[in-house]
Amino acid sequence: MLYDVRLELHYDYDAAVHGDRHLVRVSPISIPQVQRVIAASLSFEPRPEQETSFTDFFGNLVTTIAYSGYHDHLDVRLSARVQVEDPPSPADLSPTLTGLREELSRLWSVAASSPQHFLAASPRVPLDPAIAAYARDSVASSPSVQAAALDLCLRIHREFRYDREATKVDTGPSEAFALKRGVCQDFAHVMIAGLRGVGIPAGYVSGFLRTIPPKGKPRLEGADAMHAWVRVWCGQHAGWIEFDPTNAMLAGPDHITIGHGRDYSDISPIVGVLRTSGEHSAKQSVDVVRVE
Amino acid sequence: MSTRNERQAARHGAHGLIADYKPLPGVPDEMLAPDGRLRPAWSQLIGALDDLGPTELAGRFERADQYLRDAGVYYRKYDGAAGKERGWPLAHVPLILDEAEWRTITRGLTQRAELLETIVADIYGDNQLVQRGLLPPELIARNAEFLRPMVGIEPASGHYLHFCAFELGRGPNGGWWVLGDRTQAPSGAGFALENRVATTRALSDIYGRMHVHRLAGFFRGFRDALNGIAESRDGGVGILTPGQHNETYFEHAYIARYLGFALLEGEDLVVDDGQVMVRTVSGLKPVSVLWRRMDASFADPLELRYDSRIGTPGLTDAIRQGSISMVNALGSGILETRAFAAFMPNLCRTLTGSELELPTIATWWCGGAAERRHVIDNFDTMMVGSAFATGLAIEDTETVVGGGLPPHQRQALLDRLEAEGGAFVGQEQVHLSTTPLHVGGRLEPRPMTLRVYAARTRDGWTIMPGGFARIGSTPDSSAIAMQRGGQAADVWVVSDQPVEHVTLLPGEGEELVRVSAGSLPSRAADNLIWLGRYAERCEATVRILRAYNARLAESSNPDLPILKDTRTYLDGLGVDASTPLPTGLLAAIDSAVNSAGQIRDRFSPDGWLALADLRKTARTFAHKVEAGDDATRAMTVLLRKLAGFSGLVHENMYRFAGWRFLEIGRRLERGIQISGAVAWLTRKNAPEGALDLLLEIGDSVMTHRRRYAVSAGVNSYIDLLVLDPLNPRSVRFQIAELYQQLERLPGGIEGGHLSIAAKAALSLDTELRVSEPAAMTTPHLNRLGLDIGNLAGLIADAYFV
Repeated sequence: MLYDVRLELHYDYDAAVHGDRHLVRVSPISIPQVQRVIAASLSFEPRPEQETSFTDFFGNLVTTIAYSGYHDHLDVRLSARVQVEDPPSPADLSPTLTGLREELSRLWSVAASSPQHFLAASPRVPLDPAIAAYARDSVASSPSVQAAALDLCLRIHREFRYDREATKVDTGPSEAFALKRGVCQDFAHVMIAGLRGVGIPAGYVSGFLRTIPPKGKPRLEGADAMHAWVRVWCGQHAGWIEFDPTNAMLAGPDHITIGHGRDYSDISPIVGVLRTSGEHSAKQSVDVVRVE
Repeated sequence: MSTRNERQAARHGAHGLIADYKPLPGVPDEMLAPDGRLRPAWSQLIGALDDLGPTELAGRFERADQYLRDAGVYYRKYDGAAGKERGWPLAHVPLILDEAEWRTITRGLTQRAELLETIVADIYGDNQLVQRGLLPPELIARNAEFLRPMVGIEPASGHYLHFCAFELGRGPNGGWWVLGDRTQAPSGAGFALENRVATTRALSDIYGRMHVHRLAGFFRGFRDALNGIAESRDGGVGILTPGQHNETYFEHAYIARYLGFALLEGEDLVVDDGQVMVRTVSGLKPVSVLWRRMDASFADPLELRYDSRIGTPGLTDAIRQGSISMVNALGSGILETRAFAAFMPNLCRTLTGSELELPTIATWWCGGAAERRHVIDNFDTMMVGSAFATGLAIEDTETVVGGGLPPHQRQALLDRLEAEGGAFVGQEQVHLSTTPLHVGGRLEPRPMTLRVYAARTRDGWTIMPGGFARIGSTPDSSAIAMQRGGQAADVWVVSDQPVEHVTLLPGEGEELVRVSAGSLPSRAADNLIWLGRYAERCEATVRILRAYNARLAESSNPDLPILKDTRTYLDGLGVDASTPLPTGLLAAIDSAVNSAGQIRDRFSPDGWLALADLRKTARTFAHKVEAGDDATRAMTVLLRKLAGFSGLVHENMYRFAGWRFLEIGRRLERGIQISGAVAWLTRKNAPEGALDLLLEIGDSVMTHRRRYAVSAGVNSYIDLLVLDPLNPRSVRFQIAELYQQLERLPGGIEGGHLSIAAKAALSLDTELRVSEPAAMTTPHLNRLGLDIGNLAGLIADAYFV
């Protein structure tokens, strides 16, 4: 599946700011067997005085921009062409939870892809006993780790309401869980907290969704903005499998990945320190068009 | 006064200092050997202390405490939201260690520092230790001190660790154990120096006779090493401090002054094109080595802790680009993880092929089944705490001894150990040796730990021959922590031979090197301006309040027009004159102390103490002073103390840019205050007595009488307090001084052109030079005050943004 992705982020500052610096994580990365980035360009307005990029611990592409002068807005524009693979749905090769624990205890690695990084609380996902108890029901009713993750994914979709007004970008999973409402980021965080709470490694995926659905299929929720879903380590054989609790599905040919992290904080589109006391407002627009 | 013979007799009789010193049963004592005899290294000290006699000894110890108070040595004790400054709790009797024992410690810690370097390089490098099964992955992957952005970055200096501290304790068998490694941002080396200075104040003659190893050589070696790293690059060495609210800020300022390094806060730094720069009044200046006294995760809000308000955005990027050396590297704090102690013996064996020369306190990480079993089986005598704790088990309030728990808590913890063992670590309960503490005129055995420092120099690791001993306030080992009343003693490593005397001063024959002043950080300059302004604002307020209260005492009618009028004026300054010591004045004093507190490395301890004393006095007055006469006298006292502070600063501060900013602040504020007072008191409907009041608060009564034999009306007052070039209280005098200072600041004149601020000052100066008193109407005077305020803004724009 070949896509053209366009993203625009627009920030307006109440008062002009100076000397600010940002990390931007919006460019998709190539991942073997998942997707290949054919071309990508990232531009900023006003033009930053300094611009460098590097690959972070989890393999994401990060662009650093810095300004020393005054400016009152910032536009980030990405356009990328990405080839997304469409592998057949995986058979369930995953072990039971006990089997998974066994595998983990023999996994002596702290490489970026190691599930060891995705078991503990992380900056935006504290462990929450209530969410863990919720996830335990999925484990109890499922024969394998992968089945449990899918069950949890479907339950969140069924029992939570997609509601843009209910939460904000800094809402924590405990609050979203109590409300049973939120957007993709909240659903992803809740699912991660639940899985980690029962000992299943889970991480956050940031990305885009295809905007216009194929004929006869419904338009996906969250397609007009950046999207987020969850990846779950389902044992040595199954590896990482991605679930989209917002749309009750496995991530597939309609999902374009920007990058991975333990939670939103590892892969948030923009991090920055503004030297201003004023507020700022943000807008984003996303367009993902199938080329062929 | 007893004679020497009597004292000699006392020493051998029942009244000597150690006569009734009884070590605790089964616990080794530093001073007494198991057979009850003085250890040889101690005999000279104890003999000399006995010779002094109790009265002299008490006097000498008081001298040490006096020194610490005068030098303003403090640490911050956390017992509320902000924490309070506490005097440094010196235990007066030093711990004596003989040289042979010291060599054992030196060898052991050198080996350990090397080992730690190897481990941390692997953790942030290719992770062989985990892959080979020598370190469990979860101790890294779940560790908050594992800083992922640092993975794969090689330190610019070539090393992760440059400065470490170790906490040692002597076990029941008499040998030393390592209780903890300090690699994050070890504190206390400066306190070790101050302990030495204070202790030798008291015991200089004894210290002189004994062959005690000096500390200065250690610091010189480390200073040279850091300068060596900096030399190969563009930019100098700075000490990165979290700021004045940190518990050991005093020490940061002290070490910076002692070693001649810049004391910097995160806000002083900016990353420009991958290079860390200091914002100074002369523009951005590069820095290439940061000795970090801040926990790593706070160092960069962009890539580490997003909520850090004390970090420098982009610092991580500069490290990635290899332009800055961090001492120690960000992420080194992971070595402090308590569970690591369980793996040290095996790591040492595997990595170096030999055993640890100084054993680590026996530790079991409960993530392993056998280890968990052992901890559960020996639960009663185990200190059980978080595997990821970084403090010492004996100091950590979250760590418990199994045997001390009530039944329900005991079961709950045992259950958690079974369920999530990997989160816990058990350590053998510590029995520390005792050392004598001087309490109520006698020596008593108290538990102690020893903190020792290691520094990397060009020739490898050196160990400070000394350090400090922390001594418990009670016989219980858990009372060692200073936050819980523990004290600190100097450590004397004594030799049989005379020792080398080293100082940081250049020796005879060495070439005199003039170190350039470096550039003043903008934040420091900003604080200096505000210190000057607040001090002057206090003075102006105190003068008005004194004049007000004197008149109130005379008339005892608060409704007198001049009194009402003055209250209105003070109200405009945020000062409520209806209370004898208004909170507005106390707030201005607090603000002065706060500004000064942020730049303590920049002026003398005397100046700081004068300011602290002013605040203390004002606060005491606030509770007991009454309006009228009493308040008048109180204001005179405050005025004298303010003058004392100004005098100390003015007479003692070197005329670098720093002094200029302080002076600029003072002149700006005085200009603003005097313009305001003249405008108010010379206005058309000013009440009777206004002009006299003006002269008094302008401190110009005598001059006015001398200069204007016959009163020339309001114009003579305006002439003297606004236009007179020779009156140090006139507005014009302030402007002329301001111009002088602004011209001399960096960029004051460049290529024959004045800076914008200097131009503005010159234009005000010219205006006042050509003005006549009659032109100085009330609106004009008010505008003059605003113009001076604008000048402050121009200075801020040019130097602080």
